[in-house]
Amino acid sequence: MDYLLYPGCSLEGGGSHYLVSVEAVFKALGVKLTEIKDWNCCGASIHYVGGSELQTKALNARNLALAQQQGGQDIIAPCSSCYIQMIKTAHEFEEDPKLAAQLNQILAEAGLSYTGGVKVRHVLDVLFHDVGLERIRQAVKHPLTGLKVAAYYGCQTTRPYGEYDSVEAPRTMDQLLEALGAEVVPFDKGVKCCGSGIFFTEMETCARLVGDILGAAQAGGAQLISTACPMCQMNLEIYQSRVNKILHTEYDMPIVFITQLMALAFGCKYGKEAALDRNIVSPKSVLQAFAA
Amino acid sequence: MAKKYACYLCKGCGIGEALDFDNLQEVASESGMGEAKAHEALCSPEGLALIKADVDGGANALLIGACSARVKTDEFTFGKEVLVERASLREQTVYCTEAGEEAAADRQMLAADYLRISATKLQKMELPVPFQLEQPAEKAILVVGGGVAGLNAALAAAKAGAKVYLVEKEDALGGFLGKMAKLGPQSPPYQELQDTGLEDLVGQVQGNGNIEVFIGNTVAKTEGAPGNFTVSLSGGQSLRAGAVIQATGWTPYPPEKLADELAYGSSPNIITNVQMEERAKAGDLGGLNAVAFIQCAGSRDANHLPYCSAVCCLVSLKQAMYVKQANPEAAVYVIYKDIRTPGQSEEVYRQAQREGVIFIRRGEEYPKISDHGGKFTVETADVTLNDTVAIEELDLVVLATGMKPNNPKVVEPPLVALGMDQEEAKRLTAEAKAQSDDWSVLNLAYRQGKNLPTLKYAYPDSHFICFPYETRRTGIYAAGTVRRPMRVTQAIEDATGAALKAIQATTAAAAGFAVHPRSGDESFPEFFMQRCTQCKRCTEECPFGAINEDEKANPLPNPTRCRRCGVCMGACPERIISFKNYSVDMIGAMIKSIEVPEEDEEKPRVIVLACENDALPAIDMAAKAGAKWSPFIRFLPLRCLGSVNLVWIADALSSGIDGILLFGCKRGDDYQCHFIKGSELANVRMSKISETLDRLVLESDRVRVEEIGFGEVDKIPGIIAEFMETIESVGPNPYKGF
Amino acid sequence: MASKAYDKSFREEVYENVDSGEEIKLCMQCGVCGITCPLRDEMTYGPRQIWSLIRAGKREEVMNCSDIMLCTSCYACKVRCPRGVKVIDVMHGLARYALRQGIVPRKETSKFGKVFWDCIAKTGRIDETDVPMRYTMTAGPIHGIFNALEMMDIGRALLSHKRMKFKVAPGVPPAKKIKGIRGLKKMLKKAAAMSPGKES
Repeated sequence: MDYLLYPGCSLEGGGSHYLVSVEAVFKALGVKLTEIKDWNCCGASIHYVGGSELQTKALNARNLALAQQQGGQDIIAPCSSCYIQMIKTAHEFEEDPKLAAQLNQILAEAGLSYTGGVKVRHVLDVLFHDVGLERIRQAVKHPLTGLKVAAYYGCQTTRPYGEYDSVEAPRTMDQLLEALGAEVVPFDKGVKCCGSGIFFTEMETCARLVGDILGAAQAGGAQLISTACPMCQMNLEIYQSRVNKILHTEYDMPIVFITQLMALAFGCKYGKEAALDRNIVSPKSVLQAFAA
Repeated sequence: MAKKYACYLCKGCGIGEALDFDNLQEVASESGMGEAKAHEALCSPEGLALIKADVDGGANALLIGACSARVKTDEFTFGKEVLVERASLREQTVYCTEAGEEAAADRQMLAADYLRISATKLQKMELPVPFQLEQPAEKAILVVGGGVAGLNAALAAAKAGAKVYLVEKEDALGGFLGKMAKLGPQSPPYQELQDTGLEDLVGQVQGNGNIEVFIGNTVAKTEGAPGNFTVSLSGGQSLRAGAVIQATGWTPYPPEKLADELAYGSSPNIITNVQMEERAKAGDLGGLNAVAFIQCAGSRDANHLPYCSAVCCLVSLKQAMYVKQANPEAAVYVIYKDIRTPGQSEEVYRQAQREGVIFIRRGEEYPKISDHGGKFTVETADVTLNDTVAIEELDLVVLATGMKPNNPKVVEPPLVALGMDQEEAKRLTAEAKAQSDDWSVLNLAYRQGKNLPTLKYAYPDSHFICFPYETRRTGIYAAGTVRRPMRVTQAIEDATGAALKAIQATTAAAAGFAVHPRSGDESFPEFFMQRCTQCKRCTEECPFGAINEDEKANPLPNPTRCRRCGVCMGACPERIISFKNYSVDMIGAMIKSIEVPEEDEEKPRVIVLACENDALPAIDMAAKAGAKWSPFIRFLPLRCLGSVNLVWIADALSSGIDGILLFGCKRGDDYQCHFIKGSELANVRMSKISETLDRLVLESDRVRVEEIGFGEVDKIPGIIAEFMETIESVGPNPYKGF
Repeated sequence: MASKAYDKSFREEVYENVDSGEEIKLCMQCGVCGITCPLRDEMTYGPRQIWSLIRAGKREEVMNCSDIMLCTSCYACKVRCPRGVKVIDVMHGLARYALRQGIVPRKETSKFGKVFWDCIAKTGRIDETDVPMRYTMTAGPIHGIFNALEMMDIGRALLSHKRMKFKVAPGVPPAKKIKGIRGLKKMLKKAAAMSPGKES
């Protein structure tokens, strides 16, 4: 198994623990990841303020063209925002010949071209469909028995096409967590928007959205929230103190990546490989029992 | 026929453990069935072989005590010459009563009664002999109406091998299709307007050797019955046909009636969708820069047409595309209540949107149209904007008006009029007649009137869901927009369906069996005329107008019009109407064969006369689902509740039965009755017997009519329990033991 | 009395100039988008009504409505729209169109987005330290420092958890550029020229 990795800007910054744990997990599973060389930003959700739709597609077309140039394997985009931008461009390139021609005209400016066909995949997609639950179960050395987890996918993780899981009620992460031995608690906010797109600019509104999600997880009895999106992880975690102030709550809910939990269950190192020491709301008290 | 009885008792499905078979064999023998044979599973190959061997040995009247008659029908059929009667020891005995020792005695009595009832029935019935018309049945099919439905019906029937007469009142074939400029998109991807294809269709009809066309003709008279209609045309020809398809299409709702609401008539540029189509066909759509379509113009409106005509939305979409295609820059607005584009026609809606048509949801109120020197302003509520908006500078306003069937409205007097005092009945009848249309399409020479009965809005109605195309006149089928509002594709489908139904009808008439819903039934009502009192009950009450009358009011039955429901049998006060295998005497005897315990045993007996179309399946399903009810209940399945003769009530009460429940289908405007009026008639008749009961010093509470829908399985135990309580509070039948 | 007559010029302007503007033609006004939006309580109109306003020609109402810049891109409306309208792309298109007209539907989002895009356009990537710092400073020197202080606890936490690079000030040390930045710049210029409304 051989994939190209598109880390995206977030995994180089606030989501660095995602990247570390993704690499650890895929290494443990014997999956090869090669970073796309000289990739650029996908434009993310806020792109439209500065650029047109076509410019944003151009950003993503460049990454697709580079990927094709570098072997054309499926691209893993762990960040949901990158995933959605890239898969939209990839899809529309296939569906709309006019757009495809335009993009190639644009790519030509940088001496690039793209013929289509490169697949964009989410981490959950690859883990669930390519690696499979069976192989993951076999790789578990320290089952997360008794750990109560809320599976928070984030809004963009399976959207907009629902290629590998339902856009409304996804189940892949639930099943992956169960394969690790964890108990998935009832939680109906799995795809509810956390408002990360407006966290700098519409603080109060964002706090309400975050509060909804944290509250539902707590009500379900979760000890921590598992996610697969660095925007969500950051938004739900680093603003918890701020949310508590605005909403008069006392949340202290660790927000961890599914890959961090997976790394832990696979027997990887708590800090160096699972990067759990990088979580600001520390999951230590909940997770140390499972640490190698 | 000389009957040789044989009786079989099945021990499968838990029956064996629940019942005492020695006793049952005794009962069978006492009932004249001889020595009953018990088997572990009668439906198994071994069990069936056992029966087969006896049939081969000459047994021809079989009583099978096993599961409900509604299941394993293929297994327990042994050819046309063998009578089979099934006693439901499973659903109606073992499944629906409490298990265990304590309940064993009552359960056993129930099973024994079912054997007695079935034995009596078997003894009382004869093999039916199919009815044969005097001359061989005619297979030709008459199609009235040469529009899209009529043309397609004619073609479909002709392609299936039938001779077809196609009658069209105009001088050319085509109907409304001939007035259309284009058809809306009819095939994937549902984006392109299409030619009507009329020329090709007419060519196919004219080129088909099986089809004879009579243009410029109407039907002056239709006499006879399926397999033997004689049809006189206005042109003087006389045709013999086996079945009729009425495809007379529709008429636009008169737009003059919209003068107040929508300014129709005030300007040549406020037009209907029909006029718009004419303009499009004439190529007269130039110079239109702004057009508004107003949907539901006189439709879904209590003051005009209360119903949705189902096509106006699609017509406006198509016509909006006409305007856009003539001038892509034109502003086209569709002002609607709801856009109704079911199925693939949603694609047409999308296409109109892609072409830039603007849709405005208006709510219930009509928009106001004002004329400003030849340009119109339409003011309307805009529901989405929650505001009133104006659309100005319009060149043309198109009113999307609806469809009325080309069929005369028939209002029947309410059934309560039956048997009322003559003055009141006459008044109600006259009132109904005044509300009915006087003109006719088929000019039926039927005792009940020259037109097809209609339920609402002049659409010739029958059981809409279960039996499309059917009218209440057997062998006469409605297809296309005369049946309900529909679009071209649906009319084509309708036409094919009606053609196949018509072919079925001629086939059934030739073979002497019933059409739906008792398809294949070879029995038919026979009249013992010596005792007829010319009371007209049968000729008036037959839901299908099957019985004509001579001048002296003697009934003249037409068995090929008959659907074999037995409503006439229920109506006849002299009890002179019976079927070979279904008669007043037979059911009466079955009721009397029930053993009624003495009063001091405190074991009441209640019979349920149950419709076998809806109620009986519901009862079986309830039993199968584990519902339990009183073991004092005995079900007697009937062809229709309309066949209940009042003498059965007397029979039951005089033999000591404590209560009688009637389970029929839903009645009223949204009736579910397979025979349309059966359930209603039973209800009316039962309401009239309370007087009789009072005279006999019997409580009218002892008789009750209930409506049971096919899906109302859950209701059954409750209804029974409640009735049993009523019977308990009323006390035992005082005639018990006499 | 009608509040305003339908006018076709604005909808044609939108079809012509707004990214994905023609998408709204397919809206059938069911309202699923509006009721689905997690920020429905924050909006004056919501997508459905905005589309209707465009069709009716109510330019002022649409262009001056802050709803068009509230979207968090959660895609709930897009996945639920029975007509498959790319609700989000239209919303973004409208916001962008307003900005190009000199209208700022939401000040903070506009400022942040501008800094964000400029970073991409200059370096090819987002520097997750630089962008917030620059955005914070857009409030002006005094407010900027107050804002920065407020963000400081978060920044410090990220820094100490190895999730942020150290920076003294915006652009110090400077963000790294991708190797192909020159080509990317050319691409963006070309794409702008080919976009609806012919951006420059």
